[in-house]
Amino acid sequence: MAEQLDDLTDEMKSAVGQETGRTTYEVTTQGSRTFARAVGYTAEKYFDEAAAKALGYTGLPAAPGFLGMPVFNPQSAGRREDTFSNPFERRLNGGTEVEPIEQVYGGDVLDAVSRITSLELAAGRLGQMLIQNSETIYTRESDGAVVAKTRGTGISY
Amino acid sequence: MADQLYWDDVEEGQEFKLTEPMSSQRLVIWAAASGDFYQIHYDDDYAKNNNLPDIIVHGALKGMLAGRLVDEWKGEEGKIKNWGVSYRGMDPARDDLTVWGKVTKKYEEGGEALVDLDLGVAQPDGTQTTPGTATVSLPKR
Repeated sequence: MAEQLDDLTDEMKSAVGQETGRTTYEVTTQGSRTFARAVGYTAEKYFDEAAAKALGYTGLPAAPGFLGMPVFNPQSAGRREDTFSNPFERRLNGGTEVEPIEQVYGGDVLDAVSRITSLELAAGRLGQMLIQNSETIYTRESDGAVVAKTRGTGISY
Repeated sequence: MADQLYWDDVEEGQEFKLTEPMSSQRLVIWAAASGDFYQIHYDDDYAKNNNLPDIIVHGALKGMLAGRLVDEWKGEEGKIKNWGVSYRGMDPARDDLTVWGKVTKKYEEGGEALVDLDLGVAQPDGTQTTPGTATVSLPKR
């Protein structure tokens, strides 16, 4: 069991507001179709570019929530450094919020920048927990438009 | 294509839902779509060795099913302002899941005709695991 903390450490407090990572996401047409299939969409616009254009889209639209896949490189995969020392070893995904801003299309490349927006200690049925809220802003490389923001809650215990 | 939904026709308390069959194959497709290859979602032995009764549905898939429900409900001319869910419980991978929405507030703000929704994911026995909310902008007649 992790040690009990009376308060956030100074390192944790200073991590709030800090950038925790930059990632490039590729929104491929194939990835977009696979996402739509996995979520169960049947609307043609998410699979057929001509059908999408007939509705006024300029390309194959990504379904809401699909923001591409991180560019994978085995040399750097899994090497993200923690922003602060976290004494809690177990992690849970507490929730996700999506704010779509601009339509994302197959072929877009998005730069994602994440920040910790809050950290707090809480007591729960799993014992003491560290609740981390973060926000990621996705910017399209081709025109600099912010296309979406996501917010997530991570729980360590 | 579904008929367009108009703000004028929405009423507080209105409910809508979709029921989705889950399976190990479905979760493998989601793993490919999302890049989440954690074995508790498709490897029975791995899941059981991690004190789970069975493989479980990815939380993010449930969140995106809620997004699809809202996306299909709002119609082509509607716009999702935001949606989000909390992961409060696990869902076994081989049962149907019902994703539901309920209109909680209808209002105008900043020149937009808006609707707030409660969202959720229910197991066949009614157990709720994934509460959420959304705000949608709809066209007016």
